Amino acid sequence: MASAEQHEYGSYDELIEDYYARGWTDGLPVVPPTPEKVSAFLAAAGLEAGEVLGEVPTREVTVTAEHAAINAVMAGCRPEYMPAVAAAVRAHLHEKGNCHSTTGTLSGAAQAVILNGPVRLELGVECGSACFGPGFRANATIGRALRLVVRNVCRGIPGVLDRASFSTTMRYSFCFGEDEENSGWVPLHVERGLAPEDSAVTVASVMNLTPVTDFTARTPEAVCDSLLKFLTRGVATDRWLGEDNNVVLVMGPDHRRYFDAEGWSKDDIRGYLWPRFFKDGRNRVHLGKPEGLLIVAAGGPGMGETWILFPHLAWAITQRIDPARG
Amino acid sequence: MRDAVELEWAGVPSVPIIHKAVQGSAESMAKLSGVPDYPFVLADYPYIPTAIWSDQEIQTLADEVVPGILSLLTRGT
Repeated sequence: MASAEQHEYGSYDELIEDYYARGWTDGLPVVPPTPEKVSAFLAAAGLEAGEVLGEVPTREVTVTAEHAAINAVMAGCRPEYMPAVAAAVRAHLHEKGNCHSTTGTLSGAAQAVILNGPVRLELGVECGSACFGPGFRANATIGRALRLVVRNVCRGIPGVLDRASFSTTMRYSFCFGEDEENSGWVPLHVERGLAPEDSAVTVASVMNLTPVTDFTARTPEAVCDSLLKFLTRGVATDRWLGEDNNVVLVMGPDHRRYFDAEGWSKDDIRGYLWPRFFKDGRNRVHLGKPEGLLIVAAGGPGMGETWILFPHLAWAITQRIDPARG
Repeated sequence: MRDAVELEWAGVPSVPIIHKAVQGSAESMAKLSGVPDYPFVLADYPYIPTAIWSDQEIQTLADEVVPGILSLLTRGT
């Protein structure tokens, strides 16, 4: 049973100007969330309107499936994206996802939405060339749907509870998939306990996004040594969330080729890097455990590049996508 | 702000110290927590909220905010 208040407009122009006036968009136009479309999105995910996806206790906010569906429609999603959107919202609102902090912080952290499993192929999620950027409906709108929930439901509004000094374009949308088909590695969601045939979303906070570009490295060790130079600076030092914090490495094919050639697994990379994090008995990378380093295969050929997603004060949360139950 | 409000709910008298850079956020939080007029002490520039302060700057800032903290803690209800 839908519970959201309803407004009637004589035209799209009238609607969009009213939405802008009320602050209901991220600055870009939105798709009108008609009751019919919202119902179709809920049905596509097998969700009841009132089902609670999560809460922000510090903001007196409860996020329902209907809230998520309204914002998914507005973001430009197709109905079949809704299970992924619902899972992303659940992951973002996980207690250790620390959503109050990652969306309110002066640092302007963003949320990376990383998709794994069959859902990537079903929805056309880009995992290869240009996967961080514009041009792909699923990437653009699933990530945007989460951000519209942050804004329209969770009160993450610039100048109000979003106090970012600069903020980031990643806050419009930041969503991509792992390129499982072009990597021999164990996918992220399987490393985190799910089955290969499961679909999953991992939401990771991103305080900054750092490219490690190295065209000269020709061995796994050389690539790792380049990564070390960047990993050992720039990670938030707060440890109050415990030892299970994360840093995400997104490695492109022209770095992965050297690991593939010598049969290195993701664990082999961690095994090489972890002891080298330490200098004079101090861990220079503020990770509690080797497995806190999450490694994702993505991106296209051309650049010898790996990107580091340095976190804000949150764990990366992996949530299974249930096609029948959002 | 929310920490202070929740401490008050738990019966612990509290005073939030809010930097001017996040004053709007603190006021929004007080409002949505149902206590729009909950008082706080304001810290202001030249102390940048995320900077690493010198010992002297910390001392000066403390001298500036402590009277307000004491005033709010000892006022009648």
